[in-house]
Amino acid sequence: MTVKRRWRAWWNARHPRADTHTMGQRNLYILPSRAGLAFCLTLAVLLIGTINDQLSLGYALTFLLAGAGLASMHLTHGNLRGLSLDLKPPQPVFAGDEIHLALRLHNPGRARYGVGVQVAGTPIDAVAWTDVPAGGHALLELRCAAELRGLRGLPDLQIVTRFPLGLFRAWSIWRPAARVWVYPRPELPTPPMPEQAAHDEGRRPAQALRLMRSAGLEFDGVRAYRRGDSARQVLWKKAALSFEAGTPLWVRDAQAPAAQQLWLDWRDAAPLATEARLSRLTAWLLAAERAQSPVGLRLSGFEAAPALDEAHLQACLQALAGVA
Amino acid sequence: MRRPFSPITQVRHISRDTRDTLFLLATIAAVTLPHGDHLPLWVTALTGLILAWRAGLALSGRALPGRWVLVGVLVLTAGLTWLTHRTLMGREPGITMLVMLMAMKSLELRARRDAFVVFFLGFFLVLTQFLYSQSMLMAVWMLLSVWALLSAVVLAQMPVGQPSLGLAAKLALRTCAIGLPVMVGLFLLFPRIAPLWGVPAETLGRTGLSSQMAFGAMSEIASDDGIALRLRFDNPGNLPPPPEARYFRGPVLGAFDGRLWTANELGYAGAADPLQVRGTPLRYEITVEPARIKVLPLLEMAPGEAGSGLQASGVELTRGPELDFAAKRPIAQRLRLNTSAHLNYRAGPLENSLALQSNLALPPSFNPRTMEWAAAFRKQRRFADLNEDNQAEVLAPAVLEHIRSNDYTYTLAPGRYGETTQHVIDEFWFDRRLGFCEHFAAAFVVVMRALDVPARVVTGYQGMDAEPVDGYWIVRNANAHAWAEYWTPAKGWVRADPTAAVAPGRVLQGQSLRAPAGVFAGALNQFNPALWPNLRASWEAVNNRWQQLVLNYSREDQFNLLKSLGVEQPDWLALGRVSAAVIAALALAGGLWTWWSGRPRDAWSRQRAHVLRQLRRWGVTDAAPHQAPRRWAALLSARHGAAAAPAAALLTALELSRYSHGSAAASNWMARRRWHADFRRAGRMLPSSPD
Repeated sequence: MTVKRRWRAWWNARHPRADTHTMGQRNLYILPSRAGLAFCLTLAVLLIGTINDQLSLGYALTFLLAGAGLASMHLTHGNLRGLSLDLKPPQPVFAGDEIHLALRLHNPGRARYGVGVQVAGTPIDAVAWTDVPAGGHALLELRCAAELRGLRGLPDLQIVTRFPLGLFRAWSIWRPAARVWVYPRPELPTPPMPEQAAHDEGRRPAQALRLMRSAGLEFDGVRAYRRGDSARQVLWKKAALSFEAGTPLWVRDAQAPAAQQLWLDWRDAAPLATEARLSRLTAWLLAAERAQSPVGLRLSGFEAAPALDEAHLQACLQALAGVA
Repeated sequence: MRRPFSPITQVRHISRDTRDTLFLLATIAAVTLPHGDHLPLWVTALTGLILAWRAGLALSGRALPGRWVLVGVLVLTAGLTWLTHRTLMGREPGITMLVMLMAMKSLELRARRDAFVVFFLGFFLVLTQFLYSQSMLMAVWMLLSVWALLSAVVLAQMPVGQPSLGLAAKLALRTCAIGLPVMVGLFLLFPRIAPLWGVPAETLGRTGLSSQMAFGAMSEIASDDGIALRLRFDNPGNLPPPPEARYFRGPVLGAFDGRLWTANELGYAGAADPLQVRGTPLRYEITVEPARIKVLPLLEMAPGEAGSGLQASGVELTRGPELDFAAKRPIAQRLRLNTSAHLNYRAGPLENSLALQSNLALPPSFNPRTMEWAAAFRKQRRFADLNEDNQAEVLAPAVLEHIRSNDYTYTLAPGRYGETTQHVIDEFWFDRRLGFCEHFAAAFVVVMRALDVPARVVTGYQGMDAEPVDGYWIVRNANAHAWAEYWTPAKGWVRADPTAAVAPGRVLQGQSLRAPAGVFAGALNQFNPALWPNLRASWEAVNNRWQQLVLNYSREDQFNLLKSLGVEQPDWLALGRVSAAVIAALALAGGLWTWWSGRPRDAWSRQRAHVLRQLRRWGVTDAAPHQAPRRWAALLSARHGAAAAPAAALLTALELSRYSHGSAAASNWMARRRWHADFRRAGRMLPSSPD
């Protein structure tokens, strides 16, 4: 067990996490592939046949192939040596979805063919192949499953090639340093929104809205200017007053201000288990976002007042993802 | 994109998979094509059919045939092979099956990695082709085939896009070119050892020498222009012996079972033929192509008692009791030796001995009509006063005269004997009277034995090309010949060539068995009679070089190479040492290259790395590669205080010399060395420095 752990530690120290990966003598490995072993066997049989029949051209053929095989070892290694990769910061995903890894391969040397990248440990058909032109670069997109929520490290990537003859397999392990947020998987279909009564002193926003509409009043809230509000929302008639007072501009709020009081609470999803609760809260958060209604989130140790913008949403989702 | 290799313009518009498949099919066709020369016709036809079918499937995009179709084709192939060869084991059936497997593999080419199977099978096919021919043209063709095979594999390793065939071919060529030194080195140095087990197979279906002779088994002999012997005579002008003496003694066949001639089993003492040679020997150098028989043909008559040995290119040969030189096992390598021949000699005992009795044996109750004829022939009045001691000298010329004066015909296509009767000699002597040397020689020997004269068949080569090529006289496989020897008490064994009785030109002018010139040569002769022989001669000259330099490369040449490299006593050990030295040198060069290419390209980066290592050793652990020397100086001072002042000053100076305008202090390596020396010296003043 300790041997295994020490091996792991040594391995990790050999492959420090980094967001760029340049392949060289130190981090490139090469071994004969199965076809390469079969090739060795073929060469042995050819040689025996040649010796037994004393064929001069048989020697020439066998040694030509042996030379080509040996050269292919260097070419396979050289096909990766000097190549460097970097990674675009990955976008957050929901658990169960796939993380998209956008890679860029830079090639300072001659053209490379048949360079494959895969998540280490996946089968051969999961390899994304590309050629990298001489002195140029290539883009690759890789997907890997996001299973557990939280701020997750990226899986180890394996860069592999068998070019030119497929007799050898050269590979390198890249452990990207970037981490990706995996949010809880939203519950599907979205369950109905929780009752707001418990938190809002008996006021039911939807009901209030309906009452006002029936009274023929156009409910239009106003609030202070926030970054990102459009110029058309600004109450320009009140602008002079605001400038004079040194306060922010007033803007017309398109949403019902009552909805500002929409709170989501850990207890709303009550009897469920932790993961199911997180799923439900996530689903609600997303539903509110879709409905463009500001929403607040209360968890143990986290509280975000109702708001409606991307940063707020991400903060809430991250809080959910980070629940212990 | 340009595709120089696309055979049809249409190919430009087909999908990559289809194109790759077609290319692989063409490669398979190219590899199997030369085998059509010696394999049964049905193999070529079936292979062509399968490949065409597969190409049709690829072009039309239809599905490949199912497993049962393949099993059907396999069974059909095995059946046909059995019908042709009466066995599935052995070389010929093996090659037949290999070719068919290759064709059938094309029917289940699905994934690109199937290219590997074609790749491996292809190499075996290329090798087996060398069993039949190692000519220069064949070598070029096979080189192209191997190139195509490698290109197909390279193509299989390029999974993206639609790489052109030209690109794949270029990359395959590059791989081979890089591997070329390895190939040349191995070819020159890999020890040429004797066959590991078994014996090299007999040459398949060719004329030439063999260790036995089945009477009339061949309906026709294909003329084979392949070279059997090359000779250079050690006299001014490189003059060969006169035409009537150009007999190269090969296997001597004294035992006849009514059908098959084989060597006599003479295992007892006293059975050996004594040999007396007279006159000056004719010295010559001979190169013998491997005929894959034990006996080495040499010009009659090489000196040396029966039982004496001969060494040629590392092969031990022993002279047999019937004066032929034989190795322990079939000779499968070219032999080169310097030897001599006496045109004036007497071989064989002068008294009737037990050994001669085996040369009188005839299978009982075979060829009754010949026996009767011989008895009647002997009873003629002109032979009445002959006795056992002098009859041979009279009877042999009389039998030869009989052959000459009757309507016996010399032909290369006499048809098969023994189809309707087991009395093959009767059939030849009375009914058909058509044959070539072996028919005449065998019939003559049987008649002589019937006349109570000891006689035996000698096979070998007779005659040679009219002109030497590149200084060598050429004896071809088509010069293979069979003649007879009969025994007289006065002279011992006397050569008699019954073929000369019917076809004197065959013997006197040394004409080899040659089929009439083909259409092409005929047309060329019409145009300019001198052109064809000239072309032929220069081709032979090139071919001769090829044979001598490449095909003839032997252990002897390896040792000569070592000698020229300065090894005084070339042997296996020296060969091993030289090989080890070459490998070690290459490995060392590879290691150096790796180290050289792995370090930073520019001196500044190397210097910085060096300084950084030094600083770490002095305990400045927070120095980082991205910082400037001035920053390092500050860190050094912070760590070691005033003691670090000289080193810090040096670091500051380093930065100045690097970055200040017009300064070139760090740009020459002498200056850099000096700086490093100073820096190390400054470091020794540090308090806790381990340095």
